[in-house]
Amino acid sequence: MDKKVEELFRVKEIGFMGKVTASLSHEIKNTLAIINESAGLMGDLLRKDAPEDWPQYSRLANLLASIEDQVQRSADIVKRLNQFAHSMDKSLAELDLNETVRQTVILAQRFAILRRVNLETQLEPKPLHLQSDPFRLLYVIFGFIERAINCSPREAEVRVKTERSGEMFQVTVTDQGTFEADNLRELVSTSPSAEGEKAESDLAILAQTTEALGGTIAAEQEDGGLNKVILSFPARVPGR
Amino acid sequence: MAEYRVLLVDDEEEFVSALSERLMLRGIEVDSALNGEEALARLVEKEFEVVILDVMMPGLGGLEVLRQIKSTHPDTQVILLTGHGSTREGIEGMRLGAFDYLIKPVDIEEMLEKMKEAAKTVRTS
Repeated sequence: MDKKVEELFRVKEIGFMGKVTASLSHEIKNTLAIINESAGLMGDLLRKDAPEDWPQYSRLANLLASIEDQVQRSADIVKRLNQFAHSMDKSLAELDLNETVRQTVILAQRFAILRRVNLETQLEPKPLHLQSDPFRLLYVIFGFIERAINCSPREAEVRVKTERSGEMFQVTVTDQGTFEADNLRELVSTSPSAEGEKAESDLAILAQTTEALGGTIAAEQEDGGLNKVILSFPARVPGR
Repeated sequence: MAEYRVLLVDDEEEFVSALSERLMLRGIEVDSALNGEEALARLVEKEFEVVILDVMMPGLGGLEVLRQIKSTHPDTQVILLTGHGSTREGIEGMRLGAFDYLIKPVDIEEMLEKMKEAAKTVRTS
């Protein structure tokens, strides 16, 4: 298939996924609203009519409060799902890199918790406005955060920093994990035309996606065992 | 006597039923409609200070209902209910003249506060 047609197909496929996910998240919100009001009504009726010395009163009240808490928790998850779905709306949009990183870290938080890794952010105080592909940017940043989480020991910290560096906007992912600088540099510099396992590795694909966004990747290891991956993105995706 | 009259419009019957009862327990006079056409018909029959209006409904959507309410009943205040995390419908609704918007699932105390403010503007206008 022609590369341009392939790219168009990919954009449409992602847009389809985003549209359906957003629609489903809206339906989930409706059911959460029903559960919320039903539990709320049960609480209202309990407070209105049930004697407080009824043995099950406080137990029921606590259970209803728990339902309301879990409804809110679900609503927050659905909000994240919806934001994620909407990142697929357009293949080019005006963004604040801080907001993209914030959203990505929220999505990655569960993965960090499962690995007992502390995921922190250090965001540039001012907005960092750029034009890019929202979904691909999210994918790249998430990919490098996930890599850092997976190679970190328990209780270690992964830090995601944003800053402006000249004309470029940088996302730096720092970890305290096992790191092979040469290996990482080789994988991220694998040419798209290369064949075999290396070209298809997750890191090679992340690197190629970064390149497609007009970005670059640098990998460093500092004294004291801190490893850094620095993603640099331009204000505009070249050629778009 | 109720402080103000509210019309609750949403296509989810169980949501409307539970929320209506909760509002009535709090002394609010509530009527309901399960779609946009029914809502507009109710507004012809009776005066309401506040309409709580779901944005996403089959058939006549919330924003079109809002447009029609502001055209035929300009003094009636409309508070939109939206399920979307992004508040695009909310912002569009404000542009069309909605008083405010709430994101589902709604905190009833927050809803009561907004309804009170909305009703106040109707009484003082």
